[in-house]
Amino acid sequence: MALLYVFFGTIFGFILSRSGAADYNYIQSMFLFTSFQLYGIIGTAVALTAPGIWLIKRYGRTMRGRPISIELKPQHRGNVVGGALFGIGWSICGMCPGPIFVNIGEGKIYALAALAGALAGAGLFGAVYTRVQGLFRLPRLVVGTGDG
Amino acid sequence: MPLILHGLTPLHWAVGGAGIAIITLALLFVANRRLGISTGLEDVCSFVLPVPYFARDAVRSARQWRLPFIAGLVVGGFLSAVLGGGFTPTWDLGIFDQVIGFGPAGKLAWMFAGGLFIGFGTRLAGGCTSGHGIFGLSNFEFPSLISTLSFMAAGIVTTQVVYRVIF
Repeated sequence: MALLYVFFGTIFGFILSRSGAADYNYIQSMFLFTSFQLYGIIGTAVALTAPGIWLIKRYGRTMRGRPISIELKPQHRGNVVGGALFGIGWSICGMCPGPIFVNIGEGKIYALAALAGALAGAGLFGAVYTRVQGLFRLPRLVVGTGDG
Repeated sequence: MPLILHGLTPLHWAVGGAGIAIITLALLFVANRRLGISTGLEDVCSFVLPVPYFARDAVRSARQWRLPFIAGLVVGGFLSAVLGGGFTPTWDLGIFDQVIGFGPAGKLAWMFAGGLFIGFGTRLAGGCTSGHGIFGLSNFEFPSLISTLSFMAAGIVTTQVVYRVIF
């Protein structure tokens, strides 16, 4: 099963690499409104994924017959504040999380620093979660053994 | 505009968008997985940081697929470089080099700082461009719409300030 995910990730990474979605200049030109490329990519992806998800949910099962269950993301104040912080980081690095890994694979040395920063930032959030939970009305943690 | 990677001509946006949609739908239909990459940062943190946030069921149960998927992203970038002209490690950063012009040490600091915003922000928002922007919007989830509008707006403001005001 793990190999299947490596395969999907490889195709996804190749597309991000070759479409401009992992390219610093294309990210900046999206935010500068000087190129339509990234708006076209994201718009097309959503326009095709939306009816696809609708069809799969209507069918109700995976290819192998297991029931489809989509875990919805919670709504809270963090959506706005976290989104804004992420947008600043996306602009600074010219990479969102997927393209950080793609750029590392392409051989962009500085992407390793972006990854180190992203891991440190995520780690920091995990460490202060219980302290900012009330402020952002974040959901209670469900901690257990998990199945992983 | 050519890509920074070997000056290649990018795929048409419709091809890129369709490819992303196909993988997103394949993950759901084949494996019942919701596309999301930034949660993978938590999976990595969960190995080294013993705090309750990283012991959540949602993190531990997803390691088995997110980590291989992320490894695939690196492989995909590597293959793209190899097939497009060879794997040659580079500091090339496009218009950053022309306009801002920091050297390697400055770039590492700049990228690490940006990474901190990405890591903290995506975890606070509960997702990034993939989980909120692609999957969440496609599934008509309101928190994803809010998050996407927020990160697009902040990205636009930051780049405009960096490239049209400061530098």
